[in-house]
Amino acid sequence: MTFKRKGVALAAVAMVGSSAACGGGAAAEDSKTLTVVMWGGSAQEAHVQSYVKPWAEVNGVEILQDQPTDYAKLRAQVESGEVSWGIVEVEPNFSATACEEGLLEKIDTEVVDTSVLDPQFVNECAIPNLQYAFNIAYNTDVFGEDHPTTWEEFFDTEQFPGKRGFWKYVTGGILEAALLADGVPADELYPLDVDRAFEKLDTIKDDIVFYETGDQQVQLLASGEAPLVQAWNGRVFQAAQQGQPVANEFNQHFLSYDQVVIPKGYPNADLAMEWMGHFVTDLQGQAADTRASAYAPVNDKALELLEPEILEELPTSEENAAKRATVIDYDWWAENYDAVSERFNEWLAS
Amino acid sequence: MSRLLVRGGLVTLAVLTGLVLIAPVLVIIPMSFSDSSFLEFPPTDWSFRWYENFFSDPSWRASTLSSLKIAVLVTITAVILGTAAAFGLVRGRLRAKAAVAGLVIAPLIVPYVIVGLAVYAAALQVGLTQTTLGFVLVHTALGVPFVTVNVAASLASFDQRLEQAAMSLGASPLTTFLRVTLPIIAPGVAAGALFAFITSWDEVVVSLFLSGPELTTLPVQMWSGVRVAIDPTVTAVSSLLLLFTITAFAALGVARLIRNRRLARSHR
Amino acid sequence: MSSSATTAPDRRAPSRGAEPDPRPAPPGAGSPAPPGKRRRFFLTDGWGALALPIAGYLLVVLIVPLAIVFARSFTDPTLGLGNYAAFFASPIYTDVLVNTFVTAITVTLITLLIGFPYAYLMTIAPPVWRSVLLVVVLVPFWTSLLVRSFALVLLLRDTGAINETLLSLGLISDPITMVRNFTGVLIGMVQVMLPFMVLPLYATMRGIDRRLLQAAEGLGARPAFAFWRVFVPLSAAGVAAGSLLVFIQSLGFYITPALLGGPDDVMLGELIVQQVSTVLNWGFASALAAVLLIVTLVLLAIASRFIDVRRIFWKEQ
Repeated sequence: MTFKRKGVALAAVAMVGSSAACGGGAAAEDSKTLTVVMWGGSAQEAHVQSYVKPWAEVNGVEILQDQPTDYAKLRAQVESGEVSWGIVEVEPNFSATACEEGLLEKIDTEVVDTSVLDPQFVNECAIPNLQYAFNIAYNTDVFGEDHPTTWEEFFDTEQFPGKRGFWKYVTGGILEAALLADGVPADELYPLDVDRAFEKLDTIKDDIVFYETGDQQVQLLASGEAPLVQAWNGRVFQAAQQGQPVANEFNQHFLSYDQVVIPKGYPNADLAMEWMGHFVTDLQGQAADTRASAYAPVNDKALELLEPEILEELPTSEENAAKRATVIDYDWWAENYDAVSERFNEWLAS
Repeated sequence: MSRLLVRGGLVTLAVLTGLVLIAPVLVIIPMSFSDSSFLEFPPTDWSFRWYENFFSDPSWRASTLSSLKIAVLVTITAVILGTAAAFGLVRGRLRAKAAVAGLVIAPLIVPYVIVGLAVYAAALQVGLTQTTLGFVLVHTALGVPFVTVNVAASLASFDQRLEQAAMSLGASPLTTFLRVTLPIIAPGVAAGALFAFITSWDEVVVSLFLSGPELTTLPVQMWSGVRVAIDPTVTAVSSLLLLFTITAFAALGVARLIRNRRLARSHR
Repeated sequence: MSSSATTAPDRRAPSRGAEPDPRPAPPGAGSPAPPGKRRRFFLTDGWGALALPIAGYLLVVLIVPLAIVFARSFTDPTLGLGNYAAFFASPIYTDVLVNTFVTAITVTLITLLIGFPYAYLMTIAPPVWRSVLLVVVLVPFWTSLLVRSFALVLLLRDTGAINETLLSLGLISDPITMVRNFTGVLIGMVQVMLPFMVLPLYATMRGIDRRLLQAAEGLGARPAFAFWRVFVPLSAAGVAAGSLLVFIQSLGFYITPALLGGPDDVMLGELIVQQVSTVLNWGFASALAAVLLIVTLVLLAIASRFIDVRRIFWKEQ
């Protein structure tokens, strides 16, 4: 506590007039506020407007937003017991690990009817909030109808010359794509043969360009710098809608998803849980979000509310789902993430 | 003759350097007038929508004002603390001088993400996250090394006999400091102040930890959502900042010109 | 800047025409204690006391919280030196550490090579042009790091504006690869770091009495020789300050290298961020940071023997 006193004394010295009392932290939350934290930007805007705000208005809840999700902040909050984040959008391998470490509230299935969701997307502490694909995307000026439709073709730089774009993030489907390209059957992908995947990647390493953000993948594609990219379907769809020469190929896509969780010790955990309970069956809200953000809804019934031209671009529509290679196995990733990401860094640096 | 050649070389180098420095801006300014929600260059359609977005969205305005307030307070505290430290380190006989010097530059060497994690954990305990005070305390620590190093560099080549001369002619220590010492180290203090301001104004890694719905700074606002999509409003903000800086410098330049003319006239 | 202020000639400067430095005791502005045995019990004299507030401030605001995090490198996940052993067990971390220092040193040298003449030009330019030079060097400061990096990619990539112009003019037949490799990293980092070199240099150079150069030339030295033996040594404090700021900051870079560099341009900062924010292995992250800190301090200590970094803080006694 000496820290606190010295801090205040220093404050007086610095003559900074603002008060420490209005600081963030759990104390500031009254009984009817809920803080929602997602990846930020226009996507978060769409999610919150579509399926959080309408519920909050009906129930008289004040919604606060923070962004972007930061696992380090989440863990620091839980460790210190000062939890100010209520609903947090996370990746599934994080939710699995964090749930085991006791950083997250368990889902109360009395309140949240998880039976309406595909069970492989649900774990003890998390429910899914959106789905998307890691799929082949191509520049339509460079490749027309005659574009690669399988990962084998995607890795064939002789038949389809040009750079390939991949996400510089090991859980982003790069190893899965390499293994499919190398002839591993889709239903035997997991557990991943990591050595084999890197050997396959070695064959095109000089032709790979990595991207860090969603904007970069569109830039790579649209400019033709990398006419083929393993991309996120929604980002490419939005770029195509704005007239950029890019398109999705759904054959052999990998289905991925994000989840929402409640950090352990959040004072309004009950309220957050209530929202989750509402969300899983909020077909209108999920459909509205899909229209705005191009992410697929997690309750398949919401698909019935969507227009055909949108369904065409969703990895979960009946037609596209039939082309799926597999769902990314985040349980495997949760167990192997540390080791494989180190291996990935080594491969990058070599 | 060779002097002319040297000057020519210097000017050429400065022009080339200037071009490289300005090149990104020549892309950013046109992009800020693009109608697309993707960053594209050259833009296909033009609009003011990102400028409208900046001025109409309260969160952009709020974060800009917060950043400005924090950066100004940080500059003041960092300049006072950092200048004092420079005097102490350069002129003082300090037993633990190496330790103190190391301490002062430590905030620069520790990766900001580690600093962020450390101060976030502490700030949570004392309720200083998402407060101006919290930001000012932390950013001051990050900005002080810049002030100290710059002022110390000015002081190191400073002739103390000037001060002795002033005082032997009857000037008080304060007058000596204000009239003799300060003018000579002023460029160092100014450089340090500018760096301290920028450090606070531009800092994103530590600020991401400290910010939240109650208080967000401009770089954090710009960073939000970057994983998926950059908000092109960022290009408008950058262009506006540039306009502001250039105007400020131009105004200063004009003011100085006028003053110099007046001085020249009064000396006649 | 009035030129009436005569700056003391440095020890390394030719002392022709200058008196030997009498080395006065610190003057009274800080009312120092008289030299005597009594002072040995205290840490400091009047001047030295001025450094204590910031030391206390940093201890409370930064060092105590950091110590808590660094302690984790010995306790998390298990007690002991496991995290440090892991650092040396895998070649990747030492490789990246080396790459980080090579990058930082290269960036420092380039900024010095560009920044020194640039700052010199600022000192001899008329006021209006001086302001223009200053504004230009500050331009990268005011454009968000992110947008600036993107803009550079748009300009420099194989299908970017520069390559397409050169190609259409027929000056080149294949695009020059300027980005997604080490060149891209250097261009991006030098841009941001240049002000940190130019401003300290300019601040120091402005304080140099140019009549010393004239004096040297008057005594028969050729201009280049006079510049090298008089002006350059007098600006050493600025060189040291600028290099220190650029070098140390470059060590922490990771966003620019990630966006502008190739896959193998990994900086330690990026791995530390990964460990903090994605892997959540804070013990290992702080071990990485501790190694970076120690290697940096050791390098600075070594460098101070050659480049006289100490000049910044230690006036010659």
